[in-house]
Amino acid sequence: MKAPKQSDVLQGTLDLMILKTLHALGPQHGFGIARRIEQVSRDVLHLNEGTVYTSLLRLSQQGCIAAKWGTSDNGRKAKYYSITARGERRLAVETENWKRFSGVVGRVLRLEAEE
Amino acid sequence: MRDGLISRLRSFAARVLGLFASRKRDSDFDQEVQSHLELLADRFVAQGMSREAAAAAARRQFGNTTLLQEERRELRTLASVEDLGRDLRHALRSLGRSRAFAAVAIAMLALGIGATTAIFSIVDGVLLRPLPFANANRLVTLGDQVNGGDWGPVSCPEVVIYPRDTRSFQSLGGYGSTSFGLSGIGQAAQINAARMTPSVFSALGVAPLMGRVFTAQEDQQKEQVAVLSYATWKSRFNSDPHILGRKILLDRKPYVIIGVMPRNFEFPLYPGRLNRSELWVPMSLTPVERSDYGDFYLYMVGRLKSGITPAQAESDANRVAEQIMRNYPPVDANTRIRPVVYPLQQITVLQARPLLRMLFLAVFVVLLIACANLAGLLLVRAIRRQREMAVRLALGAPALRLLRQMILESLVLSLSGGLLGIGLAALALDVGKNLLPETLPLINEIALNWTVAGFALLLALLTGLFCGLAPGFAALRTNVNATMKEGGRSGSASGSHARLRSTFVVAEIAIALILLCASGLLLRSFSNMSAVDLGFRPEHVTTAAYALPHHPYSTLAYVDYFNNKLLQQLRQLPGVESVGLTNALPTTGGAFPQLFVIEGYVDPRGPDRAIAWPSLVIGDYFKAMSIPLIRGRYFTESDDVSASRIPMFRNNHLPVIVNREFAQHYWPHEDPIGRRMRLGALKSRTPWMTVVGEVADAKLNSLDADAAEQFYLPLAQPDSGYIVVRSALPPEQMEHALRAVVRSIDPELPLTHVETMDQVVSQSEAPPRFNTIMISSFALAAMLLAVLGIYSIVAFSVASRVHEMAIRMAFGSPRSDIMRLVLISGLKLAAIGCVLGLAGAAGASSILRSFLFHVSPFDPAVMITGAVAVFALALAASALPAYRAASVDPVLALRAE
Repeated sequence: MKAPKQSDVLQGTLDLMILKTLHALGPQHGFGIARRIEQVSRDVLHLNEGTVYTSLLRLSQQGCIAAKWGTSDNGRKAKYYSITARGERRLAVETENWKRFSGVVGRVLRLEAEE
Repeated sequence: MRDGLISRLRSFAARVLGLFASRKRDSDFDQEVQSHLELLADRFVAQGMSREAAAAAARRQFGNTTLLQEERRELRTLASVEDLGRDLRHALRSLGRSRAFAAVAIAMLALGIGATTAIFSIVDGVLLRPLPFANANRLVTLGDQVNGGDWGPVSCPEVVIYPRDTRSFQSLGGYGSTSFGLSGIGQAAQINAARMTPSVFSALGVAPLMGRVFTAQEDQQKEQVAVLSYATWKSRFNSDPHILGRKILLDRKPYVIIGVMPRNFEFPLYPGRLNRSELWVPMSLTPVERSDYGDFYLYMVGRLKSGITPAQAESDANRVAEQIMRNYPPVDANTRIRPVVYPLQQITVLQARPLLRMLFLAVFVVLLIACANLAGLLLVRAIRRQREMAVRLALGAPALRLLRQMILESLVLSLSGGLLGIGLAALALDVGKNLLPETLPLINEIALNWTVAGFALLLALLTGLFCGLAPGFAALRTNVNATMKEGGRSGSASGSHARLRSTFVVAEIAIALILLCASGLLLRSFSNMSAVDLGFRPEHVTTAAYALPHHPYSTLAYVDYFNNKLLQQLRQLPGVESVGLTNALPTTGGAFPQLFVIEGYVDPRGPDRAIAWPSLVIGDYFKAMSIPLIRGRYFTESDDVSASRIPMFRNNHLPVIVNREFAQHYWPHEDPIGRRMRLGALKSRTPWMTVVGEVADAKLNSLDADAAEQFYLPLAQPDSGYIVVRSALPPEQMEHALRAVVRSIDPELPLTHVETMDQVVSQSEAPPRFNTIMISSFALAAMLLAVLGIYSIVAFSVASRVHEMAIRMAFGSPRSDIMRLVLISGLKLAAIGCVLGLAGAAGASSILRSFLFHVSPFDPAVMITGAVAVFALALAASALPAYRAASVDPVLALRAE
């Protein structure tokens, strides 16, 4: 297993955040997802909103999300994404992994701090 | 885990689809981006920005859309496939720029692959057909080694006893070849057939296409039933659907047709022989056969029980053989048999094995030359493109990408060469079929062998891959700085490249010389064989075979009537010099060995070991064949014993004529005339016969076999034989007259194999001729390839040295010196190649030895001729490039830089 590149980590995280958003808020268009991430990350994470679409394409290729055209609140045509059963499973697994990972990282960091 | 895999599969599928449906997706995406940007802008406007500022801020926040498109495209499609397409186009373009190079490379591979595919297809069609039986690996043959001799047939009682008393076989049966006069339908004909016990069918595991095969009961009760081959059913019975139950006459006895075998059923299998069985009849051993332990002429085939090895079956059979020998009648008490069990597949290719090994080697070698040529060419090309590579590397082209392009280029070459080669092979086979000797068996089976073609193609691909890799890596190792610093001067190649190139040339010359020597030896051997002293003169002799059916020739008086009438009428024909009848023609190997006893001779090999080949001859056989008399006399008409008088001859002295080989073995330095001998074993009570003549050794078996010990008896054969006529008439006219005479005696009797003796002899030459043609074709292909290879490598390297030549000339070097320079460098390589090739040829001699006749595998004439020829061709191959180098215009060449 080769070490994942930095962008890989970021990609995976973004995917996870999108799944979590769709899981929590139900079907959303790309703009809505971008707003939600902006809101949740509270400006810690600076990303070009366009990258959201790369993640969306990747997730739909993997069958984790489904997309269909609809009309937004202000009457514009928009593509709405929703999480699929596969996406839910993936979210559960990845969330678990993430928790474990961040727990380990947290413990390691604490150890260093105590030294 | 599973989910991950499925996700990955799904994205792969989506990407594959994405290759096709990219346009609509792009417009969808544009719309999505547009709407996102507008929503963002709306938000900024709501925060108080102007429209223009809001749009700009929105684009800033969204990021670079082009980059995004790029990313998406990469995600959506298989980037590697698109790249591959681009590289492929690049490879084609770059090959298109150097057409001469591409043409030479493709032609070379096409020649190599075409030649090997064609030749190998012939070999496969003639020799290598697999056994068409289910689970053929469990099929075995059982044969006897009699008195320590070679593996061979078994006796009739053994055919009954082995299946009954052995325990290793699921099914074991006996069979023997025979032939019948077929009548009752259409034109009477003599056909090949086989007697079989029903177990042969069950052992082979082949069910009839129609009807049934005969039963054990029918075999024992001597029912006259027959099973037809598919080909016979089709050709002789017009695929009659109501054939079952129809009666045919075999040797004028009625047989009922009970079955037709499937199309591909052929048995017995004679690898490389034409005489297939047309029908099968029950073995139906006669009472005489059932108690005859001394005659070995039946073969056995069986299917092993699962888990039993041939070795186990053999020891089982040996146990039974011990028991058979204990119950021998006194006459056969000195006979020792040792049953041997071989896998059937092995025995059918046993004879062909040395030839196959040699051909495999030749195929391999020719392909090797072709591949070496391609590699050499590609290498030369890579060296010439070093600068281009350096530029591309310097401009940041990934090294892997360059490597991939090199490999693709060579793959394009090798694949097109391979395909062209297979096309050429198909063409060559089509044309060549008519040129091959007609006596070559199974000529109709020869077709382009797709396995071989596939293999050749695969090999071409591998070659392309490999040959692309080597120069590719060479190019990658290019020191960008150094190459660029040379300032684009295409100077002479570096030392290591030149050495590699020279190695290719030397190896090719050596390999070509080995093949040339091999074919030279075989050609010498073949011409020796044609010049061999046959012991008779085949010119102006016409022969024909006949077989008298039991009905109406059941009484020997009828046989005598036929024989006498035949001899008498043929003698009276105008132009006929002498006529004889015999049971075996020389060079056909049709005689069976016979045990005999010499009066007063104690055999150092033990009792009952004296074996020789008898021929039964009546009429003027010796004069008709022109077999020279050495001592004594030929048989006279009064010596001839007609068929009906043979039983009365038990107590009379029969005259016998021996050949020189026989006389020298048993009466060395003595006069054999007047000596006595008798047939059979020491204990058998056969009458003495007196030697009245000694004749020259007429080749009985194949031409390259040593003379066999033979003797001749003046006895008429009771059923079948050969007519031998020496006449001044042209062969067609003689054949016509011969048929007319036979028809006037018995209108229904078919004559077969009506041929001139020259034709008979040339059939015996067919296998060696086949070998010679095959190996010579390989040698020719190898030579062509090697010359092409030498030429191309020398030519290309000269082309890359144009600059150097120009400088030399500019400094006053005369053109003749330039020419000499190139020639000498070519000849040095040729000389080294020849020395190595001669050493290789000497090393390969052990493989060749068994094919050679009266030629040493180290024959100096062949070796020297071969070496000189290769040297001359190498000289010619480098002459043209040398001439071209010498005619370079230095001003033009230097200015071109």
